[in-house]
Amino acid sequence: MCERVTVEDVERAIDMGFRDVESLKRYLRIGMGPCQGRYCVPIVLGILSRKLGVPVEKLSYVAIRPPLEPVPVRLFLRVKKDV
Amino acid sequence: MYDLIIVGGGIIGVSLAFKLAEQGFGKILLVERNYLGSGSTFRCAGGIRASFTSREHIVLMKRSIELWGELKEKLGVKYSRSGYLWLTHREEDLEKIKGYMRIHHMFGLDTRLVGEDFVKEVAPYVDTSKMVGALFDPLAGKASPFDSLYKQFLAAKSLGVEFLVGKEVTRIDIENGAAKGVLIDGEKIPARNVAVTAGAYSVYLLERNGIKIPLTPVPHHAALTEDFGRLFDPLIIDVASGAYAVQTFHGNVLMGVDVEEKPFGELSVKLAFLEKVVSVWSKWLPWLPNVNILRYWPGYYEMTPDHHPIIGPVTPIENLYIATGFSGHGFMMAPVVAEEVASWITSGRPRSQEAGNLVLSRFEEGKTVKELAVIG
Repeated sequence: MCERVTVEDVERAIDMGFRDVESLKRYLRIGMGPCQGRYCVPIVLGILSRKLGVPVEKLSYVAIRPPLEPVPVRLFLRVKKDV
Repeated sequence: MYDLIIVGGGIIGVSLAFKLAEQGFGKILLVERNYLGSGSTFRCAGGIRASFTSREHIVLMKRSIELWGELKEKLGVKYSRSGYLWLTHREEDLEKIKGYMRIHHMFGLDTRLVGEDFVKEVAPYVDTSKMVGALFDPLAGKASPFDSLYKQFLAAKSLGVEFLVGKEVTRIDIENGAAKGVLIDGEKIPARNVAVTAGAYSVYLLERNGIKIPLTPVPHHAALTEDFGRLFDPLIIDVASGAYAVQTFHGNVLMGVDVEEKPFGELSVKLAFLEKVVSVWSKWLPWLPNVNILRYWPGYYEMTPDHHPIIGPVTPIENLYIATGFSGHGFMMAPVVAEEVASWITSGRPRSQEAGNLVLSRFEEGKTVKELAVIG
Protein backbone atom coordinates (compact mmCIF):
# COMPACT_ATOMS: atom_id res chain seq x y z
CA MET A 1 0.00 0.00 0.00
CA CYS A 2 1.16 3.59 -0.33
CA GLU A 3 3.40 5.12 2.37
CA ARG A 4 5.03 1.63 2.50
CA VAL A 5 2.43 0.17 4.85
CA THR A 6 2.08 -3.62 4.84
CA VAL A 7 -0.96 -5.80 5.52
CA GLU A 8 0.86 -7.01 8.63
CA ASP A 9 1.17 -3.38 9.86
CA VAL A 10 -2.58 -2.95 9.43
CA GLU A 11 -3.39 -6.18 11.28
CA ARG A 12 -1.05 -5.29 14.14
CA ALA A 13 -2.55 -1.79 14.48
CA ILE A 14 -6.06 -3.24 14.64
CA ASP A 15 -4.91 -5.54 17.44
CA MET A 16 -3.45 -2.51 19.27
CA GLY A 17 -6.87 -0.87 19.35
CA PHE A 18 -7.03 1.20 16.14
CA ARG A 19 -10.41 -0.10 15.03
CA ASP A 20 -11.66 2.47 12.54
CA VAL A 21 -10.24 3.55 9.23
CA GLU A 22 -9.77 7.22 10.27
CA SER A 23 -7.52 6.15 13.16
CA LEU A 24 -5.68 3.58 11.03
CA LYS A 25 -5.04 6.34 8.48
CA ARG A 26 -3.47 8.61 11.07
CA TYR A 27 -1.57 5.88 12.90
CA LEU A 28 -0.10 4.24 9.80
CA ARG A 29 -0.34 7.06 7.21
CA ILE A 30 -2.43 4.93 4.82
CA GLY A 31 -4.25 7.24 2.44
CA MET A 32 -1.88 10.15 3.05
CA GLY A 33 0.36 9.54 0.05
CA PRO A 34 -0.06 10.80 -3.51
CA CYS A 35 -3.16 8.66 -4.26
CA GLN A 36 -4.89 10.08 -1.17
CA GLY A 37 -6.26 6.67 -0.29
CA ARG A 38 -8.05 5.92 -3.53
CA TYR A 39 -6.15 2.61 -3.82
CA CYS A 40 -5.35 1.59 -0.28
CA VAL A 41 -8.42 2.55 1.75
CA PRO A 42 -10.67 -0.10 0.13
CA ILE A 43 -7.98 -2.72 0.88
CA VAL A 44 -7.76 -1.57 4.50
CA LEU A 45 -11.54 -1.68 4.82
CA GLY A 46 -11.39 -5.30 3.63
CA ILE A 47 -8.82 -6.22 6.27
CA LEU A 48 -10.76 -4.37 8.97
CA SER A 49 -13.98 -6.11 7.96
CA ARG A 50 -12.31 -9.55 8.18
CA LYS A 51 -10.61 -8.83 11.52
CA LEU A 52 -13.65 -7.32 13.23
CA GLY A 53 -16.21 -9.64 11.62
CA VAL A 54 -18.22 -6.63 10.45
CA PRO A 55 -19.53 -6.48 6.85
CA VAL A 56 -17.55 -3.95 4.83
CA GLU A 57 -20.63 -1.91 3.97
CA LYS A 58 -21.18 -1.29 7.68
CA LEU A 59 -17.75 0.33 8.04
CA SER A 60 -17.43 4.03 7.32
CA TYR A 61 -15.08 5.37 4.65
CA VAL A 62 -12.49 8.07 5.43
CA ALA A 63 -13.57 11.71 5.15
CA ILE A 64 -12.56 12.98 1.71
CA ARG A 65 -10.39 16.07 1.95
CA PRO A 66 -10.21 18.31 -1.12
CA PRO A 67 -8.67 18.55 -3.65
CA LEU A 68 -9.70 15.19 -5.15
CA GLU A 69 -6.21 14.72 -6.51
CA PRO A 70 -2.97 16.65 -5.91
CA VAL A 71 -3.28 20.09 -7.55
CA PRO A 72 -0.38 22.48 -8.26
CA VAL A 73 -0.31 25.54 -5.99
CA ARG A 74 -0.04 27.94 -8.98
CA LEU A 75 -3.66 27.20 -9.95
CA PHE A 76 -4.87 28.52 -6.59
CA LEU A 77 -2.88 31.73 -7.10
CA ARG A 78 -5.29 32.54 -9.95
CA VAL A 79 -8.53 32.09 -8.00
CA LYS A 80 -10.74 35.12 -8.74
CA LYS A 81 -13.81 34.30 -6.68
CA ASP A 82 -15.10 31.63 -4.36
CA VAL A 83 -17.63 29.04 -5.50
CA MET B 1 -17.54 2.99 39.86
CA TYR B 2 -14.95 5.10 38.06
CA ASP B 3 -12.84 7.64 39.92
CA LEU B 4 -12.83 9.83 36.82
CA ILE B 5 -14.66 9.97 33.50
CA ILE B 6 -13.03 12.15 30.85
CA VAL B 7 -15.39 13.37 28.11
CA GLY B 8 -13.46 14.04 24.90
CA GLY B 9 -10.54 12.11 23.40
CA GLY B 10 -8.43 14.89 21.95
CA ILE B 11 -4.91 15.72 23.07
CA ILE B 12 -6.18 17.36 26.29
CA GLY B 13 -8.29 14.39 27.40
CA VAL B 14 -5.70 11.78 26.42
CA SER B 15 -2.85 13.74 28.09
CA LEU B 16 -4.94 14.06 31.27
CA ALA B 17 -5.68 10.32 31.26
CA PHE B 18 -1.99 9.51 30.82
CA LYS B 19 -0.85 12.02 33.47
CA LEU B 20 -3.25 10.69 36.12
CA ALA B 21 -2.57 7.05 35.22
CA GLU B 22 1.14 7.73 35.67
CA GLN B 23 0.43 9.15 39.12
CA GLY B 24 -1.41 5.95 40.01
CA PHE B 25 -4.79 7.70 40.25
CA GLY B 26 -7.65 5.15 40.43
CA LYS B 27 -10.00 3.95 37.71
CA ILE B 28 -10.30 6.17 34.63
CA LEU B 29 -12.66 5.98 31.65
CA LEU B 30 -12.22 8.22 28.60
CA VAL B 31 -15.21 8.59 26.27
CA GLU B 32 -14.81 9.84 22.69
CA ARG B 33 -17.86 10.03 20.44
CA ASN B 34 -16.03 9.97 17.07
CA TYR B 35 -12.40 8.77 16.94
CA LEU B 36 -9.46 9.91 19.09
CA GLY B 37 -8.12 13.26 17.93
CA SER B 38 -11.03 13.83 15.54
CA GLY B 39 -12.06 17.26 16.87
CA SER B 40 -9.28 19.84 16.76
CA THR B 41 -6.12 17.89 17.63
CA PHE B 42 -5.63 16.15 14.29
CA ARG B 43 -6.47 19.35 12.41
CA CYS B 44 -3.84 21.47 14.15
CA ALA B 45 -0.39 22.55 12.99
CA GLY B 46 1.56 21.18 15.95
CA GLY B 47 3.48 24.38 16.75
CA ILE B 48 4.71 24.86 20.33
CA ARG B 49 5.92 28.16 21.81
CA ALA B 50 6.04 30.21 25.00
CA SER B 51 6.54 33.52 23.16
CA PHE B 52 3.13 34.99 23.99
CA THR B 53 2.35 38.38 25.53
CA SER B 54 0.57 37.49 28.79
CA ARG B 55 2.08 36.17 32.04
CA GLU B 56 -0.38 33.24 32.10
CA HIS B 57 0.43 32.07 28.60
CA ILE B 58 4.19 32.53 28.95
CA VAL B 59 4.57 30.91 32.37
CA LEU B 60 2.31 27.94 31.57
CA MET B 61 3.88 27.38 28.17
CA LYS B 62 7.42 27.44 29.61
CA ARG B 63 6.33 24.57 31.86
CA SER B 64 4.56 22.84 28.97
CA ILE B 65 7.76 22.95 26.92
CA GLU B 66 9.64 21.24 29.79
CA LEU B 67 6.95 18.57 29.83
CA TRP B 68 7.09 18.15 26.03
CA GLY B 69 10.79 17.36 26.52
CA GLU B 70 9.87 14.74 29.12
CA LEU B 71 7.26 13.19 26.80
CA LYS B 72 9.91 12.85 24.12
CA GLU B 73 12.29 11.15 26.55
CA LYS B 74 9.68 8.88 28.14
CA LEU B 75 7.55 7.88 25.15
CA GLY B 76 9.67 8.83 22.16
CA VAL B 77 7.10 11.40 21.02
CA LYS B 78 8.10 13.18 17.80
CA TYR B 79 8.95 16.61 19.21
CA SER B 80 11.66 19.04 18.24
CA ARG B 81 12.81 22.39 19.66
CA SER B 82 13.33 23.79 16.18
CA GLY B 83 12.10 27.32 16.97
CA TYR B 84 9.64 29.87 15.63
CA LEU B 85 10.70 32.48 13.11
CA TRP B 86 8.68 35.67 12.54
CA LEU B 87 9.44 37.13 9.12
CA THR B 88 8.79 40.75 8.16
CA HIS B 89 9.01 42.52 4.85
CA ARG B 90 7.71 45.91 6.10
CA GLU B 91 9.37 48.41 8.47
CA GLU B 92 6.20 48.84 10.56
CA ASP B 93 6.09 45.13 11.36
CA LEU B 94 9.65 45.29 12.61
CA GLU B 95 8.52 47.66 15.40
CA LYS B 96 5.74 45.20 16.25
CA ILE B 97 8.08 42.24 16.72
CA LYS B 98 10.50 44.38 18.75
CA GLY B 99 7.56 45.11 21.08
CA TYR B 100 6.85 41.37 21.40
CA MET B 101 10.52 40.74 22.11
CA ARG B 102 10.59 43.22 25.01
CA ILE B 103 7.71 41.37 26.67
CA HIS B 104 9.41 38.00 26.09
CA HIS B 105 12.59 39.30 27.74
CA MET B 106 10.61 40.41 30.83
CA PHE B 107 9.77 36.72 31.38
CA GLY B 108 13.22 35.40 30.59
CA LEU B 109 12.43 34.19 27.08
CA ASP B 110 15.45 34.35 24.85
CA THR B 111 13.86 35.61 21.61
CA ARG B 112 16.16 37.68 19.40
CA LEU B 113 16.30 39.58 16.13
CA VAL B 114 18.20 37.63 13.50
CA GLY B 115 19.66 38.48 10.12
CA GLU B 116 19.68 36.89 6.71
CA ASP B 117 22.63 34.58 7.41
CA PHE B 118 20.89 33.03 10.39
CA VAL B 119 17.61 32.59 8.50
CA LYS B 120 19.45 30.86 5.65
CA GLU B 121 20.98 28.45 8.14
CA VAL B 122 17.75 27.32 9.84
CA ALA B 123 15.49 27.83 6.81
CA PRO B 124 17.52 27.21 3.66
CA TYR B 125 14.49 27.22 1.37
CA VAL B 126 13.06 30.54 2.58
CA ASP B 127 13.78 33.46 0.23
CA THR B 128 15.24 36.34 2.26
CA SER B 129 15.58 38.90 -0.55
CA LYS B 130 12.48 40.85 0.57
CA MET B 131 13.17 40.41 4.28
CA VAL B 132 13.39 43.54 6.45
CA GLY B 133 13.85 41.72 9.74
CA ALA B 134 13.13 38.51 11.64
CA LEU B 135 12.54 37.42 15.22
CA PHE B 136 13.63 33.96 16.35
CA ASP B 137 12.40 32.02 19.39
CA PRO B 138 14.82 29.16 20.06
CA LEU B 139 12.70 27.59 22.85
CA ALA B 140 9.72 27.07 20.54
CA GLY B 141 9.25 24.00 18.37
CA LYS B 142 6.81 21.48 16.99
CA ALA B 143 5.40 18.02 17.69
CA SER B 144 3.42 15.52 15.64
CA PRO B 145 -0.25 15.61 16.71
CA PHE B 146 -0.80 11.99 15.60
CA ASP B 147 2.31 10.62 17.28
CA SER B 148 1.91 12.51 20.56
CA LEU B 149 -1.74 11.55 20.94
CA TYR B 150 -1.30 7.89 19.97
CA LYS B 151 1.81 7.32 22.14
CA GLN B 152 0.03 8.74 25.19
CA PHE B 153 -3.11 6.73 24.32
CA LEU B 154 -1.15 3.46 24.14
CA ALA B 155 0.78 4.30 27.33
CA ALA B 156 -2.41 5.22 29.21
CA LYS B 157 -4.09 2.03 27.99
CA SER B 158 -1.20 -0.10 29.21
CA LEU B 159 -1.54 1.63 32.61
CA GLY B 160 -5.17 0.52 32.81
CA VAL B 161 -7.13 3.52 31.48
CA GLU B 162 -10.30 2.38 29.71
CA PHE B 163 -11.25 3.97 26.38
CA LEU B 164 -14.80 4.01 25.06
CA VAL B 165 -14.66 5.23 21.47
CA GLY B 166 -17.67 5.78 19.20
CA LYS B 167 -20.11 6.44 22.07
CA GLU B 168 -21.48 9.88 22.85
CA VAL B 169 -21.94 11.35 26.30
CA THR B 170 -25.36 12.97 25.95
CA ARG B 171 -25.14 14.82 29.27
CA ILE B 172 -23.35 15.00 32.57
CA ASP B 173 -25.24 13.42 35.46
CA ILE B 174 -25.51 16.20 38.04
CA GLU B 175 -27.41 15.61 41.27
CA ASN B 176 -27.60 17.94 44.29
CA GLY B 177 -25.00 20.27 42.83
CA ALA B 178 -22.38 17.57 42.22
CA ALA B 179 -21.32 15.56 39.17
CA LYS B 180 -22.15 11.87 39.67
CA GLY B 181 -21.15 10.47 36.28
CA VAL B 182 -22.30 10.69 32.66
CA LEU B 183 -25.20 9.48 30.53
CA ILE B 184 -24.51 7.38 27.44
CA ASP B 185 -27.45 5.98 25.41
CA GLY B 186 -29.73 6.84 28.34
CA GLU B 187 -27.63 4.75 30.69
CA LYS B 188 -25.93 6.24 33.75
CA ILE B 189 -22.24 5.54 34.18
CA PRO B 190 -21.30 6.58 37.72
CA ALA B 191 -18.04 8.34 38.58
CA ARG B 192 -16.56 10.30 41.48
CA ASN B 193 -15.26 13.02 39.11
CA VAL B 194 -16.02 14.16 35.57
CA ALA B 195 -13.68 16.18 33.36
CA VAL B 196 -14.94 17.82 30.16
CA THR B 197 -12.21 18.09 27.54
CA ALA B 198 -14.43 18.22 24.47
CA GLY B 199 -12.88 21.29 22.82
CA ALA B 200 -15.34 23.36 20.81
CA TYR B 201 -18.10 20.84 21.57
CA SER B 202 -17.84 21.41 25.34
CA VAL B 203 -20.15 24.39 24.94
CA TYR B 204 -22.94 22.22 23.47
CA LEU B 205 -22.47 19.43 26.02
CA LEU B 206 -22.60 21.70 29.07
CA GLU B 207 -25.56 23.62 27.64
CA ARG B 208 -27.65 20.45 28.13
CA ASN B 209 -26.93 20.73 31.84
CA GLY B 210 -27.89 24.41 31.79
CA ILE B 211 -24.25 25.45 32.22
CA LYS B 212 -23.20 28.34 30.02
CA ILE B 213 -19.53 28.81 29.22
CA PRO B 214 -18.24 31.78 27.20
CA LEU B 215 -16.90 29.73 24.33
CA THR B 216 -17.23 30.49 20.63
CA PRO B 217 -16.10 27.98 17.99
CA VAL B 218 -14.66 29.82 14.96
CA PRO B 219 -13.63 27.91 11.81
CA HIS B 220 -9.99 28.06 10.72
CA HIS B 221 -8.35 26.45 7.72
CA ALA B 222 -5.14 24.57 6.91
CA ALA B 223 -3.66 23.13 3.72
CA LEU B 224 -0.84 20.66 3.19
CA THR B 225 1.62 20.12 0.32
CA GLU B 226 3.27 16.89 -0.73
CA ASP B 227 6.38 15.88 1.25
CA PHE B 228 9.97 17.00 0.69
CA GLY B 229 13.39 16.76 2.35
CA ARG B 230 14.51 19.50 4.73
CA LEU B 231 13.13 22.92 3.67
CA PHE B 232 12.99 24.91 6.94
CA ASP B 233 13.26 23.83 10.58
CA PRO B 234 11.32 26.48 12.54
CA LEU B 235 7.63 27.21 12.23
CA ILE B 236 7.57 30.41 10.17
CA ILE B 237 5.14 33.31 10.54
CA ASP B 238 4.50 36.13 8.08
CA VAL B 239 3.97 39.01 10.51
CA ALA B 240 2.01 41.19 8.05
CA SER B 241 -0.76 38.60 7.51
CA GLY B 242 -0.35 36.37 10.57
CA ALA B 243 -0.02 33.33 8.25
CA TYR B 244 2.04 30.38 9.47
CA ALA B 245 3.81 27.50 7.73
CA VAL B 246 5.48 24.49 9.28
CA GLN B 247 7.26 21.51 7.75
CA THR B 248 5.82 18.38 9.37
CA PHE B 249 8.04 15.52 10.58
CA HIS B 250 6.95 13.66 7.47
CA GLY B 251 8.15 16.52 5.23
CA ASN B 252 4.88 18.12 4.09
CA VAL B 253 4.43 21.88 4.36
CA LEU B 254 1.34 22.73 6.44
CA MET B 255 0.05 26.30 5.99
CA GLY B 256 -2.70 28.39 7.56
CA VAL B 257 -3.96 31.96 7.56
CA ASP B 258 -7.00 33.79 8.95
CA VAL B 259 -9.91 34.31 6.60
CA GLU B 260 -13.20 35.94 7.51
CA GLU B 261 -15.39 33.45 9.37
CA LYS B 262 -18.54 33.58 11.42
CA PRO B 263 -18.64 32.48 15.07
CA PHE B 264 -20.34 29.07 15.35
CA GLY B 265 -19.91 28.81 11.53
CA GLU B 266 -19.99 25.42 9.83
CA LEU B 267 -16.76 23.69 8.91
CA SER B 268 -16.67 24.05 5.13
CA VAL B 269 -13.86 24.59 2.64
CA LYS B 270 -13.24 27.89 0.85
CA LEU B 271 -11.25 28.54 -2.31
CA ALA B 272 -10.62 32.05 -0.98
CA PHE B 273 -8.57 30.51 1.83
CA LEU B 274 -6.36 28.54 -0.55
CA GLU B 275 -5.83 31.64 -2.69
CA LYS B 276 -4.83 33.74 0.32
CA VAL B 277 -2.55 31.20 1.98
CA VAL B 278 -0.60 30.33 -1.16
CA SER B 279 -0.30 34.03 -2.14
CA VAL B 280 1.26 34.89 1.23
CA TRP B 281 3.65 31.97 1.22
CA SER B 282 4.71 32.26 -2.41
CA LYS B 283 6.36 35.55 -1.32
CA TRP B 284 8.69 33.72 1.07
CA LEU B 285 8.77 30.33 -0.66
CA PRO B 286 9.25 31.07 -4.38
CA TRP B 287 9.15 27.36 -5.27
CA LEU B 288 5.68 26.93 -3.74
CA PRO B 289 3.65 27.59 -6.96
CA ASN B 290 5.25 24.51 -8.52
CA VAL B 291 4.40 21.97 -5.82
CA ASN B 292 1.12 20.15 -5.21
CA ILE B 293 -1.53 20.67 -2.56
CA LEU B 294 -2.48 17.24 -1.19
CA ARG B 295 -5.11 18.03 1.40
CA TYR B 296 -7.10 20.92 2.80
CA TRP B 297 -9.33 20.87 5.88
CA PRO B 298 -11.13 23.22 8.27
CA GLY B 299 -11.22 22.97 12.06
CA TYR B 300 -12.35 25.00 15.05
CA TYR B 301 -10.49 27.46 17.24
CA GLU B 302 -12.62 27.55 20.39
CA MET B 303 -12.34 31.18 21.45
CA THR B 304 -12.93 32.74 24.87
CA PRO B 305 -13.46 36.48 25.49
CA ASP B 306 -9.85 36.97 26.70
CA HIS B 307 -8.34 34.36 24.34
CA HIS B 308 -7.06 32.31 27.27
CA PRO B 309 -8.25 28.80 28.16
CA ILE B 310 -10.71 27.76 30.84
CA ILE B 311 -8.99 25.31 33.20
CA GLY B 312 -10.23 23.91 36.50
CA PRO B 313 -13.45 23.38 38.45
CA VAL B 314 -16.88 24.27 37.04
CA THR B 315 -18.01 26.12 40.16
CA PRO B 316 -20.36 25.87 41.95
CA ILE B 317 -20.85 22.26 40.77
CA GLU B 318 -18.70 19.84 42.70
CA ASN B 319 -16.48 17.18 41.14
CA LEU B 320 -16.86 18.67 37.66
CA TYR B 321 -13.77 19.97 35.86
CA ILE B 322 -13.16 21.52 32.49
CA ALA B 323 -10.26 22.28 30.16
CA THR B 324 -11.19 24.01 26.92
CA GLY B 325 -11.27 27.42 25.25
CA PHE B 326 -7.68 27.27 24.08
CA SER B 327 -8.31 29.79 21.30
CA GLY B 328 -5.98 27.95 18.92
CA HIS B 329 -3.27 26.92 21.43
CA GLY B 330 -4.62 23.71 22.94
CA PHE B 331 -2.22 21.23 21.41
CA MET B 332 0.90 23.02 22.66
CA MET B 333 -0.60 23.55 26.12
CA ALA B 334 -1.80 19.94 26.57
CA PRO B 335 1.04 18.69 28.83
CA VAL B 336 0.80 21.58 31.31
CA VAL B 337 -3.00 21.56 31.22
CA ALA B 338 -3.01 17.83 32.02
CA GLU B 339 -0.72 18.53 34.96
CA GLU B 340 -2.87 21.41 36.23
CA VAL B 341 -6.22 19.58 35.87
CA ALA B 342 -4.68 16.53 37.56
CA SER B 343 -3.68 18.82 40.44
CA TRP B 344 -7.22 20.26 40.69
CA ILE B 345 -8.71 16.75 40.74
CA THR B 346 -6.29 15.19 43.22
CA SER B 347 -5.64 18.13 45.57
CA GLY B 348 -8.43 20.64 44.93
CA ARG B 349 -6.05 23.38 43.83
CA PRO B 350 -3.96 24.35 40.83
CA ARG B 351 -0.24 23.72 40.67
CA SER B 352 0.55 27.31 39.69
CA GLN B 353 -1.02 30.71 40.36
CA GLU B 354 -1.11 31.36 36.60
CA ALA B 355 -3.32 28.32 36.03
CA GLY B 356 -5.45 29.40 38.99
CA ASN B 357 -6.13 32.66 37.13
CA LEU B 358 -7.75 30.70 34.29
CA VAL B 359 -10.75 29.23 36.14
CA LEU B 360 -14.23 29.55 34.63
CA SER B 361 -15.45 31.89 37.41
CA ARG B 362 -13.07 34.64 36.20
CA PHE B 363 -15.62 35.71 33.58
CA GLU B 364 -18.39 36.25 36.15
CA GLU B 365 -16.06 37.92 38.61
CA GLY B 366 -14.62 40.22 35.97
CA LYS B 367 -11.12 38.84 36.45
CA THR B 368 -10.33 38.13 32.81
CA VAL B 369 -6.69 37.85 31.90
CA LYS B 370 -5.11 40.92 30.37
CA GLU B 371 -2.58 40.94 27.60
CA LEU B 372 0.46 42.85 28.83
CA ALA B 373 0.55 44.99 25.76
CA VAL B 374 -1.66 45.34 22.78
CA ILE B 375 0.74 45.92 19.97
CA GLY B 376 -0.28 47.13 16.54
